Amino acid sequence: MADEKVMENVPQYDDAVLEKEFQEKRQRQIAEDFAKPFDPDCILEVRHLRKCFPLKKTITGKVTKELVAVDDVSFKLKAGETLGIVGESGCGKTTTGRAILKLHQPTGGQIIFNGEDITHFDSKQMRPIRQQMQIIFQDPYSSLPPRSTVGGILSEPVEVHGIVPKEQVKDYVLELMDKCGLRDYYYERYPHEFSGGQRQRICIARALSVNPKLVICDEPVSALDVSIQAQIINLLKKLQREMNLAYIFISHDLSVVKFISDKIGVMYLGAMMEFGTKEDIFRNPLHPYTKALFSAVPNPDPDNKTERIKLEGDIPSPANPPKGCRFHTRCPYATEKCKHVVPEYREYEPGHFAACHMLEQDNG
Amino acid sequence: MEKLENNQAPAEVADNEVPLDKNVRLMSPTRMVVRRFFRSKLSILGLVMVISLFLFSFVGPLVYTQWGEIELDESGKTEYSIAETTYTVNGVTYTVRQTTEKYLKDNFLAPPSAEHILGTDNEGYDIFVRLMYGGRISLTVSFIAVFLITILGVVLGGVAGYFGGAVDNVIMRVSDVLMCLPGVPILLIISTILDASDIDAKYRIYLLMVYLTFISWTGTARLVRGQILSLREQEYMVAAEAMGYSTFRKIFKHLVPNVMPQLIVQMSLSLGSMILYEATLSYLNLGVKAPYAAWGTMINIISTNQNVLQNHWNVWVPAGICIVIAVLGFNFVGDGLRDALDPKARR
Amino acid sequence: MANNDRYLSGKEVRAIAKANAREIKRLEAYKNRKAPESEFLAEMRDPSNILEIEDLHTFFYTEQGVVQAVNGVSYDVPRNAVVGVVGESGCGKSVTAMSVMRLIQGPAGQIVDGSIRFKAYDYKRDAKGNPVLKEGSQTEYEMEEKVYDIAKMPVHEIHRIRGKQVAMIFQEPMTSLNPVFTIGEQLDEVTFIHTPGATKEQARAKSEEMLRLVGIIPENVYNAFPHELSGGMRQRVMIAMALAAEPRLIIADEPTTALDVTIQAQILDLLQDIKNKIDGSILLITHDLGVIAEMADYVVVMYAGKVIEKGTVQEIFRDPRHPYTIGLQKSKPTMTLDDGTELYNIPGNVPNPINMPSYCYFKERCDKCTAKCAGDYPCMVQVSPTHFVACHLYSEEENHG
Repeated sequence: MADEKVMENVPQYDDAVLEKEFQEKRQRQIAEDFAKPFDPDCILEVRHLRKCFPLKKTITGKVTKELVAVDDVSFKLKAGETLGIVGESGCGKTTTGRAILKLHQPTGGQIIFNGEDITHFDSKQMRPIRQQMQIIFQDPYSSLPPRSTVGGILSEPVEVHGIVPKEQVKDYVLELMDKCGLRDYYYERYPHEFSGGQRQRICIARALSVNPKLVICDEPVSALDVSIQAQIINLLKKLQREMNLAYIFISHDLSVVKFISDKIGVMYLGAMMEFGTKEDIFRNPLHPYTKALFSAVPNPDPDNKTERIKLEGDIPSPANPPKGCRFHTRCPYATEKCKHVVPEYREYEPGHFAACHMLEQDNG
Repeated sequence: MEKLENNQAPAEVADNEVPLDKNVRLMSPTRMVVRRFFRSKLSILGLVMVISLFLFSFVGPLVYTQWGEIELDESGKTEYSIAETTYTVNGVTYTVRQTTEKYLKDNFLAPPSAEHILGTDNEGYDIFVRLMYGGRISLTVSFIAVFLITILGVVLGGVAGYFGGAVDNVIMRVSDVLMCLPGVPILLIISTILDASDIDAKYRIYLLMVYLTFISWTGTARLVRGQILSLREQEYMVAAEAMGYSTFRKIFKHLVPNVMPQLIVQMSLSLGSMILYEATLSYLNLGVKAPYAAWGTMINIISTNQNVLQNHWNVWVPAGICIVIAVLGFNFVGDGLRDALDPKARR
Repeated sequence: MANNDRYLSGKEVRAIAKANAREIKRLEAYKNRKAPESEFLAEMRDPSNILEIEDLHTFFYTEQGVVQAVNGVSYDVPRNAVVGVVGESGCGKSVTAMSVMRLIQGPAGQIVDGSIRFKAYDYKRDAKGNPVLKEGSQTEYEMEEKVYDIAKMPVHEIHRIRGKQVAMIFQEPMTSLNPVFTIGEQLDEVTFIHTPGATKEQARAKSEEMLRLVGIIPENVYNAFPHELSGGMRQRVMIAMALAAEPRLIIADEPTTALDVTIQAQILDLLQDIKNKIDGSILLITHDLGVIAEMADYVVVMYAGKVIEKGTVQEIFRDPRHPYTIGLQKSKPTMTLDDGTELYNIPGNVPNPINMPSYCYFKERCDKCTAKCAGDYPCMVQVSPTHFVACHLYSEEENHG
């Protein structure tokens, strides 16, 4: 111990001490935030969401190694707003979406939906909530049951949740199909008869059949062709206007997220790197990862070949994330501090958060 | 190329109103399955075999009413036996041939004739008629067994697959233990117990099949569990979860219908093996007992009677052929169904 | 019956199956025939091209009818150039590439008509078809440049070009490497196959050189198994494998689609880099206009089995003519687009290429449709020496002018 104290003058980092300090600080922060009242303006409030998956278990079921898929993610979402979550594979964006829907039970944190803390609701308590939050998946092929007709797929939730009286179900479904750009003669057809875009419309119609307030769109256009993507995005926007929906739009495609979102969160290896309004993020990206992400998108303009911010190496495995700042292994500006100290997720402009040591220094 | 297009199914004349997707006509899912099934000659053959056996066993006795199952041909039969006796008197050897004419009440081991299409067996029962009744027993018993196996397998496999965790562990370990049990020795023991207790010969076979069910559900359960494990990860199941459907609805409206194809295939394949089981049991004299007929019982005679094995093929070969036809038929149909219902498993 | 409009009847299904069986039998016999080399030798239209595809028809004989996946496609790949083929799923861009490799899955898929001329560098052969030895040498053979018509080659002759002269990079780096062999073994194998008489040391040296070329330190990867590598690394290895045989043409089928954006940027940079280093052409197939704009010299736009527009990358992006190309570019949300506006979209769906109409396939989704569009399928109109478009809008223009 004495030795370490002597070393303090030299920039030397003791990971164990730092880890302890960091955990204590985080616990304080979490306790502080949990005590705050729920924001009445927001339809969804996520506080310090954490989700771990067990990787290794002993024979008695004790978890010895876990994968932290989502680590300390917080945000707020108002009705009728769209939050875009961007990130590469393994960044935990899908897990975040599913944890909010309680398809995965969160390991920690709070999910406040419509002024209710639903984090610890069991499946029975969740049933009325499910009607208000829905999900649209990436793969329009595996997300529709192959042995039901379109009519069956769409009327089942309506019947189960008793949205309209039984005799009106068919009319209701046909109206919904019309709204989603599906022709009425599709009613009797099976999903395999449709192309990806039409299937995605069916998925959207199914999600909207129960009149939700919040829809989590998990890469809804990634598997679609460009011309169909545009149709689906426009459809989602139209439906948002008509039904005052809130979206969480998860995607790896920045240009799509930019088009549809009001707020954007950039995730990397389970943690939020930067969060802010669309204008903040696109006009003034703070985090080096966000900047690199932007410059990596291929530009459909043959003459305007700008120099890229190159990220070296691969995305580390989320089972074994780097110490300190998660991004330091690929960051072009990484310093010794980044390798050991976890940067604080701070508000740099009103509503614009980021986690980077470089910014901490600039702002004092 | 032009020739090709002429050969195509006539397309609708595309006018301005019809969108292109209406121009494309697909095959309905049912037709697709039927078509794939009938594309293979073997599955047609299998179907023909199975159907003709059914007609033979269930409709046959209604049409061909000349003899009953346990009706002896009492028309009588004269059996001649020649006995030779040799004795020596004063160095001269005499051979005396004595012909005995014996009149018997039953007309047994009669050769095929107009009256008995396949002749009679060593007791005097009509073989052709007993083949039909034997088929009834064999087919009914196998169907019941397969039905029970499927129900047990679906419930246990479904529960194990859907809930996972400890439930899954318990069910799967039980199935491991059952798979280790030697089936036939235990059968012999049970059969002895049944012999000791007073159970009608007609019903003991059903009891044995229940036992068979008890040790055979493991295969189906494993299949269902595996299927459900993979289906559970499908996004439409996650969507069902997100819709807040009840567990019952999720299992029985969303999961089980999607396991049906594999299940039907498994059922038709295990029908064949159940027929074999039944025949084995009857052959070992554990199953259906005389005077009631079953295909296995009908073959059983050769294990004790050398004469029948060598000289009276008509007594036991037809039953053997029936067993072969039934097993092959069910297997062909099963393979055909697998190809039709599960195109991914195709060669 | 209502069902009759939408599903085929049993009679129709049988008619289709019968017609299919006949066609498949004929085409399979053609594929498996024995033919002298002279039968599949051809002449290039333009000697500066490495690959010329002309009027290619590749059909799939399915139970529901003939899918005309590639329906009269023509384009050229010039030497040392990158040609980008862009189009939506089902437009036949991949099938065209697979036809070049002759990897179409038979018996359902068949090349029906057309020619794929490829300028190969192969052994000189005598009248009997045996390779000619170099004068005064026992092991080295005489090489010469000759043009094969790949579409007419019998199956057993394909090895002359496949892998050796034309290599392919697939979309899915996870499944295109064999999981039971190390990267080194798989790379060495390429050398063994294409360089007869290579020793183990030579093969290893070559493999390491290739790995270095794609930006991998060979020591780390040579003895690794595919599952130990990330997607980006595997795609690099795939590229190294494609390069190992020193092909004259590399077909990259959606090489970056399965990768993350930052990794995609790395691989695109790598391909750019390699393009300058090797003496060969790249045929790049993708649905991403951004990738095409960054990589390609020439662009071919395909729609429903046909080429609808082709030209240099400048022409296609600066001066797109076909309404589909224009729509495609407008419907992609860009990073620079000002928000608020509704995204431009092409209405309708990509048609299923069974029973295609005789008029322009894009007619129903087109917002510039004229009376003429109900007529025959438009032919290719030349709007500049390198720019072609298949649209009635421009054939009219030409007539008037």
